[in-house]
Amino acid sequence: MTETIEQHQEADPGPASTAVCLEPMGLAKSLAICASGWLVPGLSHLLLGRWGRGLMFTAAVIAMFLFGVAMHGRLYDFTPDQPLHIFAFFANAGVGLPYIFAQRMGYGVGQLSSPTYDYGNTYLWVAGLLNYLVVLDAFDIAKGRKP
Amino acid sequence: MNLAHFEALFIFGLLVSIVFSLINKTSPKEQLKYGSMVFLSFLAVAFVVGWLMFPFPA
Repeated sequence: MTETIEQHQEADPGPASTAVCLEPMGLAKSLAICASGWLVPGLSHLLLGRWGRGLMFTAAVIAMFLFGVAMHGRLYDFTPDQPLHIFAFFANAGVGLPYIFAQRMGYGVGQLSSPTYDYGNTYLWVAGLLNYLVVLDAFDIAKGRKP
Repeated sequence: MNLAHFEALFIFGLLVSIVFSLINKTSPKEQLKYGSMVFLSFLAVAFVVGWLMFPFPA
Protein backbone atom coordinates (compact mmCIF):
# COMPACT_ATOMS: atom_id res chain seq x y z
CA MET A 1 0.00 0.00 0.00
CA THR A 2 2.77 2.41 0.98
CA GLU A 3 4.71 1.42 -2.10
CA THR A 4 1.77 2.34 -4.30
CA ILE A 5 1.52 5.79 -2.78
CA GLU A 6 5.22 6.40 -3.09
CA GLN A 7 5.24 5.20 -6.68
CA HIS A 8 2.40 7.55 -7.52
CA GLN A 9 4.15 10.50 -5.95
CA GLU A 10 7.34 9.70 -7.81
CA ALA A 11 5.49 9.33 -11.09
CA ASP A 12 3.64 12.63 -10.97
CA PRO A 13 4.75 14.88 -8.15
CA GLY A 14 4.05 18.19 -9.94
CA PRO A 15 6.58 21.01 -9.81
CA ALA A 16 5.25 22.80 -6.75
CA SER A 17 2.86 20.19 -5.42
CA THR A 18 2.87 19.63 -1.66
CA ALA A 19 -0.37 17.64 -1.50
CA VAL A 20 -0.08 13.98 -0.59
CA CYS A 21 -2.26 11.01 -1.47
CA LEU A 22 -4.57 9.70 1.24
CA GLU A 23 -4.49 6.15 2.52
CA PRO A 24 -6.89 4.23 0.25
CA MET A 25 -10.36 3.98 1.81
CA GLY A 26 -12.71 1.01 1.64
CA LEU A 27 -15.19 0.78 -1.20
CA ALA A 28 -18.24 1.42 0.99
CA LYS A 29 -16.72 4.55 2.54
CA SER A 30 -15.55 5.80 -0.86
CA LEU A 31 -19.01 5.30 -2.34
CA ALA A 32 -20.63 7.06 0.62
CA ILE A 33 -18.35 10.03 0.07
CA CYS A 34 -19.20 10.01 -3.65
CA ALA A 35 -22.92 9.92 -2.86
CA SER A 36 -22.54 12.96 -0.60
CA GLY A 37 -20.70 14.74 -3.40
CA TRP A 38 -23.46 13.91 -5.85
CA LEU A 39 -26.15 15.24 -3.49
CA VAL A 40 -24.25 18.42 -2.59
CA PRO A 41 -21.67 19.47 -5.19
CA GLY A 42 -18.20 19.73 -3.65
CA LEU A 43 -19.15 18.09 -0.34
CA SER A 44 -17.10 14.97 -1.07
CA HIS A 45 -13.94 17.06 -1.37
CA LEU A 46 -14.77 18.88 1.86
CA LEU A 47 -15.17 15.53 3.63
CA LEU A 48 -11.81 14.43 2.24
CA GLY A 49 -10.16 17.58 3.63
CA ARG A 50 -9.72 19.26 0.25
CA TRP A 51 -11.31 22.51 1.42
CA GLY A 52 -10.12 24.85 -1.28
CA ARG A 53 -11.07 22.59 -4.15
CA GLY A 54 -14.35 21.60 -2.51
CA LEU A 55 -15.49 25.18 -2.05
CA MET A 56 -14.50 26.09 -5.60
CA PHE A 57 -16.41 23.10 -6.98
CA THR A 58 -19.47 24.01 -4.91
CA ALA A 59 -19.35 27.61 -6.12
CA ALA A 60 -18.77 26.74 -9.78
CA VAL A 61 -21.39 23.99 -10.10
CA ILE A 62 -24.08 25.80 -8.09
CA ALA A 63 -23.42 29.06 -9.97
CA MET A 64 -23.76 27.26 -13.30
CA PHE A 65 -27.00 25.63 -12.14
CA LEU A 66 -28.46 28.94 -10.92
CA PHE A 67 -27.50 30.70 -14.15
CA GLY A 68 -29.24 27.90 -16.05
CA VAL A 69 -32.44 28.28 -14.04
CA ALA A 70 -32.29 32.08 -14.32
CA MET A 71 -31.95 31.78 -18.11
CA HIS A 72 -35.24 29.83 -18.24
CA GLY A 73 -33.64 26.46 -18.93
CA ARG A 74 -35.66 23.29 -18.47
CA LEU A 75 -35.13 20.62 -15.82
CA TYR A 76 -36.08 17.30 -17.38
CA ASP A 77 -38.03 14.58 -15.57
CA PHE A 78 -37.50 10.88 -16.00
CA THR A 79 -39.87 10.05 -18.86
CA PRO A 80 -39.29 6.51 -20.24
CA ASP A 81 -41.77 7.07 -23.08
CA GLN A 82 -39.43 9.75 -24.51
CA PRO A 83 -36.05 7.97 -24.69
CA LEU A 84 -34.01 11.03 -25.72
CA HIS A 85 -35.16 12.90 -22.61
CA ILE A 86 -33.45 10.27 -20.47
CA PHE A 87 -30.05 11.71 -21.44
CA ALA A 88 -31.20 15.21 -20.50
CA PHE A 89 -32.57 13.86 -17.21
CA PHE A 90 -29.27 12.08 -16.49
CA ALA A 91 -27.35 15.32 -17.09
CA ASN A 92 -29.77 17.43 -15.04
CA ALA A 93 -29.86 14.98 -12.14
CA GLY A 94 -26.08 15.17 -11.75
CA VAL A 95 -26.44 18.29 -9.61
CA GLY A 96 -28.21 16.31 -6.89
CA LEU A 97 -30.23 18.12 -4.24
CA PRO A 98 -30.38 21.51 -6.03
CA TYR A 99 -32.08 19.73 -8.95
CA ILE A 100 -34.64 18.11 -6.63
CA PHE A 101 -35.32 21.34 -4.71
CA ALA A 102 -35.61 23.44 -7.87
CA GLN A 103 -38.12 21.00 -9.35
CA ARG A 104 -40.16 20.81 -6.16
CA MET A 105 -40.27 24.62 -5.98
CA GLY A 106 -41.51 24.91 -9.55
CA TYR A 107 -38.33 26.22 -11.17
CA GLY A 108 -36.85 24.82 -14.35
CA VAL A 109 -40.13 24.64 -16.23
CA GLY A 110 -38.39 25.91 -19.36
CA GLN A 111 -39.66 28.91 -21.27
CA LEU A 112 -39.38 28.19 -25.00
CA SER A 113 -40.09 31.80 -25.95
CA SER A 114 -37.10 33.05 -23.97
CA PRO A 115 -34.06 33.94 -26.11
CA THR A 116 -31.80 32.30 -23.52
CA TYR A 117 -33.76 29.03 -23.28
CA ASP A 118 -31.08 27.02 -25.11
CA TYR A 119 -28.26 28.62 -23.12
CA GLY A 120 -30.14 27.80 -19.94
CA ASN A 121 -30.56 24.16 -20.95
CA THR A 122 -26.86 23.90 -21.75
CA TYR A 123 -25.89 25.44 -18.42
CA LEU A 124 -28.15 23.01 -16.54
CA TRP A 125 -26.85 19.96 -18.38
CA VAL A 126 -23.21 20.94 -18.03
CA ALA A 127 -23.62 21.74 -14.32
CA GLY A 128 -24.78 18.15 -13.73
CA LEU A 129 -22.14 16.60 -15.96
CA LEU A 130 -19.39 18.63 -14.26
CA ASN A 131 -20.59 17.37 -10.91
CA TYR A 132 -20.25 13.79 -12.12
CA LEU A 133 -16.62 14.58 -12.98
CA VAL A 134 -16.13 16.14 -9.54
CA VAL A 135 -17.53 13.00 -7.90
CA LEU A 136 -15.17 10.77 -9.92
CA ASP A 137 -12.28 13.02 -8.86
CA ALA A 138 -13.32 12.57 -5.22
CA PHE A 139 -13.43 8.79 -5.73
CA ASP A 140 -9.85 8.83 -7.01
CA ILE A 141 -8.76 10.90 -4.00
CA ALA A 142 -10.55 8.55 -1.59
CA LYS A 143 -8.84 5.58 -3.22
CA GLY A 144 -5.43 7.25 -2.85
CA ARG A 145 -4.86 7.48 -6.59
CA LYS A 146 -4.33 11.24 -6.66
CA PRO A 147 -3.51 13.96 -4.14
CA MET B 1 -32.05 36.87 -17.12
CA ASN B 2 -31.21 37.84 -20.68
CA LEU B 3 -27.53 37.47 -21.43
CA ALA B 4 -25.96 38.18 -24.80
CA HIS B 5 -24.33 35.26 -26.57
CA PHE B 6 -20.82 36.42 -25.69
CA GLU B 7 -21.72 37.02 -22.04
CA ALA B 8 -23.19 33.52 -21.76
CA LEU B 9 -20.10 32.08 -23.43
CA PHE B 10 -17.77 34.06 -21.15
CA ILE B 11 -19.44 32.86 -17.94
CA PHE B 12 -19.74 29.29 -19.25
CA GLY B 13 -16.06 29.15 -20.23
CA LEU B 14 -14.98 30.64 -16.92
CA LEU B 15 -16.92 28.16 -14.76
CA VAL B 16 -15.98 25.11 -16.85
CA SER B 17 -12.30 26.07 -16.96
CA ILE B 18 -12.24 26.48 -13.16
CA VAL B 19 -13.59 22.94 -12.67
CA PHE B 20 -11.33 21.43 -15.36
CA SER B 21 -8.21 23.05 -13.94
CA LEU B 22 -8.95 21.91 -10.38
CA ILE B 23 -9.62 18.35 -11.55
CA ASN B 24 -6.65 17.99 -13.87
CA LYS B 25 -3.87 19.83 -12.03
CA THR B 26 -2.69 19.76 -8.44
CA SER B 27 -0.49 22.79 -7.80
CA PRO B 28 -2.02 26.30 -7.86
CA LYS B 29 0.48 27.49 -10.46
CA GLU B 30 -0.40 24.65 -12.83
CA GLN B 31 -4.10 25.15 -12.20
CA LEU B 32 -3.89 28.83 -13.08
CA LYS B 33 -1.93 28.12 -16.24
CA TYR B 34 -4.16 25.26 -17.39
CA GLY B 35 -7.39 27.08 -16.46
CA SER B 36 -6.32 30.19 -18.36
CA MET B 37 -5.47 28.10 -21.41
CA VAL B 38 -8.84 26.31 -21.37
CA PHE B 39 -10.73 29.58 -20.86
CA LEU B 40 -8.89 31.37 -23.67
CA SER B 41 -9.39 28.33 -25.91
CA PHE B 42 -13.15 28.54 -25.34
CA LEU B 43 -13.14 32.19 -26.41
CA ALA B 44 -10.78 31.67 -29.34
CA VAL B 45 -12.73 28.72 -30.76
CA ALA B 46 -15.99 30.67 -30.45
CA PHE B 47 -14.50 33.60 -32.40
CA VAL B 48 -13.04 31.32 -35.10
CA VAL B 49 -16.28 29.36 -35.55
CA GLY B 50 -18.25 32.61 -35.53
CA TRP B 51 -16.15 34.06 -38.35
CA LEU B 52 -16.32 30.79 -40.31
CA MET B 53 -20.10 31.00 -40.19
CA PHE B 54 -20.14 34.69 -41.18
CA PRO B 55 -20.61 34.10 -44.98
CA PHE B 56 -23.64 31.91 -44.42
CA PRO B 57 -27.09 33.53 -44.32
CA ALA B 58 -28.71 33.82 -40.89
